[in-house]
Amino acid sequence: MPGFDFSNYNRNAALHARGVPLPKATSTGTTIVGCIFEGGVVIAADTRATSGPIVADKNCEKLHYISPNIWCAGAGTAADTEFTTALISSQLELHSLSTGRKPRVVTCMTMLKQHLFRYQGHIGAYLVVAGVDPTGTHLFTVHAHGSTDKLPYVTMGSGSLAAMSVFETQWKPQLTQEEAVALCSEAIQSGIFNDLGSGSNVDVAIITGEKTTLKRNYIKPNERVPKLKSYIFKRGTTAVLNEKIIRKEDLGNFVSVHELAVEETGDKMEVDA
Amino acid sequence: MVGKDCVAIACDLRLGLQALTVSNNFPKIFQYGDNVFLGLTGLATDLSTVSDLFRYKVNMYRLREERNIAPKTFANLVSSSLYEKRFGPYFVSPVVAGLDPKTSKPFICGFDSIGCIDFAADFIVSGTATDQLYGMCESLWEPNLAPEDLFETISQALMSAVDRDALSGWGAHVYIIEKDKVTKRLLKGRQD
Amino acid sequence: MDTLVARYSRPAYHENEAFSEEERQGLVDSVPSLSLKFAMPPVAHPSAWLRAATDDRSNPSCPIKIAHGTTTLAFRFQGGIIVATDSRATAGNWIASQTVKKVIEINSDLLGTMAGGAADCQYWLAWLGMQCRLHELRHKRRISVAAASKILANLVYQYKGMGLSMGTMCAGVTKEEGPALYYIDSDGTRLAGNLFCVGSGQTFAYGVLDAEYRYDLSVEEALELGSRSILAATHRDAYSGGFINLYHVKESGWEKHGFSDTNPIFWKTKLEKGEFSNVTSDLSERV
Repeated sequence: MPGFDFSNYNRNAALHARGVPLPKATSTGTTIVGCIFEGGVVIAADTRATSGPIVADKNCEKLHYISPNIWCAGAGTAADTEFTTALISSQLELHSLSTGRKPRVVTCMTMLKQHLFRYQGHIGAYLVVAGVDPTGTHLFTVHAHGSTDKLPYVTMGSGSLAAMSVFETQWKPQLTQEEAVALCSEAIQSGIFNDLGSGSNVDVAIITGEKTTLKRNYIKPNERVPKLKSYIFKRGTTAVLNEKIIRKEDLGNFVSVHELAVEETGDKMEVDA
Repeated sequence: MVGKDCVAIACDLRLGLQALTVSNNFPKIFQYGDNVFLGLTGLATDLSTVSDLFRYKVNMYRLREERNIAPKTFANLVSSSLYEKRFGPYFVSPVVAGLDPKTSKPFICGFDSIGCIDFAADFIVSGTATDQLYGMCESLWEPNLAPEDLFETISQALMSAVDRDALSGWGAHVYIIEKDKVTKRLLKGRQD
Repeated sequence: MDTLVARYSRPAYHENEAFSEEERQGLVDSVPSLSLKFAMPPVAHPSAWLRAATDDRSNPSCPIKIAHGTTTLAFRFQGGIIVATDSRATAGNWIASQTVKKVIEINSDLLGTMAGGAADCQYWLAWLGMQCRLHELRHKRRISVAAASKILANLVYQYKGMGLSMGTMCAGVTKEEGPALYYIDSDGTRLAGNLFCVGSGQTFAYGVLDAEYRYDLSVEEALELGSRSILAATHRDAYSGGFINLYHVKESGWEKHGFSDTNPIFWKTKLEKGEFSNVTSDLSERV
């Protein structure tokens, strides 16, 4: 049966009522942006994933594949953005196979919003959907509750205010591709440096009518300086009570094969001739 | 933790009920093939449920596909199995470590309780001593550690971290996974 | 209350005047009480407010984390009193320190132990030391353990329900009382007894102590028993551990018998006596 399994729900609610803290989900924290230019659209994201105050992943991927010409940037609960985009990507592929047409960005956006609206915001996926299809270039935002927006430039996530301030001061109509990429990465960097939930590197995806270019770690403004000294311990530092080594070639010793004498009793099984 | 042509995975041995230490021999690492290991932390009842569930799923995979599961495939299996229970999750945060069966490249990743994968090139931590482990690993880990050095690094990181966590410790298991062998060691740790 | 307010709100010029007879008597008789000099938070129910802000069991993300978790024990025997504690301080699951001194030397004859709020215990046992010294100066002889423990019990009783958290034992040996041991907690309980264990690891310590305890234990046996009881508690209780702090109280005063790491003691106990057989070097899988 596809779909969610609620079998642990009541148990967990009871556990929570008895004071067991609920497990923390990884959140993307995130600054994600998108911007239309002449002949295409560009989306960009930072690469920090957080779990409470802890940076869980310093270089995660927040740009998700939907179809070759449609990509999605995700903010909110990391697992939700990952699986929602994968689900819609799969449905859209089937849809385009059955209709024999290229997938459209509005179709993708509608499927996303209908899915998210059905779950009333409990699926915490906040998305920027961008793509180029036979009807033109499109850029949307989709909120977890199912509302959508269509704008020439968009920002989302905890760093959306910082990023929007860049767009509001520097955006102009009819940007070129290079200008749009520069503006988007500038907006992401503003999120990286001014929002605590965002950080590390800038990922950029450029979608035009001809092709899609994913520039993973387009800008790396926060590279860790290599350690100047090594902390390697002298071998034998750790006290060991017992040791067991299993070698691949010895694996045979653990599985023994015995030839069993076949008893010739009357009824033999029919074997295909 | 990733080393040069090897990976390591380690766990402490405590099973506790709040303050009470129920068992000091409760390993949390499970093997699902020659080179695929799963570490689990969280609620003990879910630990056994989840480890058995994956044993079942991996066995079914092996029967259907007539080959052993690769760490990356296993990671995706873990991820989708956990996300299926998005609104009633298991209270576990797993860690997968292994070597790719074809290329022998090290692979590690971690998950939150609802299946978000955290791919890492260096180390993954999980459990009650998470904060302490992050601190230890960030300072002790370095790239291209040989298996013997990786063992010392992961062991010292774990031991130092659990010595500052009331709910972990009581000894540890460490697995060093190399292309042609797996070394499992029992560490002598503080028993308080 | 009014008398207190009157005492501290006297106009300044009075201070230079000679004391009246009544005032002189008052100064000699009354213990200058520190009570009610603490600033209270400006909320309707200070104790409820404090509990909400500090109780990490019901609210793991409470803003103030008070050091909790302890095993302390003391017992009377023919040679005096043994006092032993662990040394771990925890704030939630975080081990804040492994080297806390949980035996408080009230003076050269009296010992107090610390369980519950570390600050509460330290402050009020130091204050108790002050009161004991004042008693000596006033009466020209040592205070009895009974009297000392009662000063503390009365003090905490004044603060009952206001959020003090302490479970302490007072141990001393006097000529009149012999070995005397009292348990006092912040509820106002004051009990005399032969043997007490206090703290999150108390049950584990009682387990060992009750099994082996006799009043006619030799000094060596008694010290070993105290140490072994704490060791058992540190092994099973997550919030106890670190070092074993061991004291022997005699009529001539207390004597310290070390502040020793549990780790080597544990392995020595295991290997030499074959105890703690639950800890193995077995690597085989559980079935």
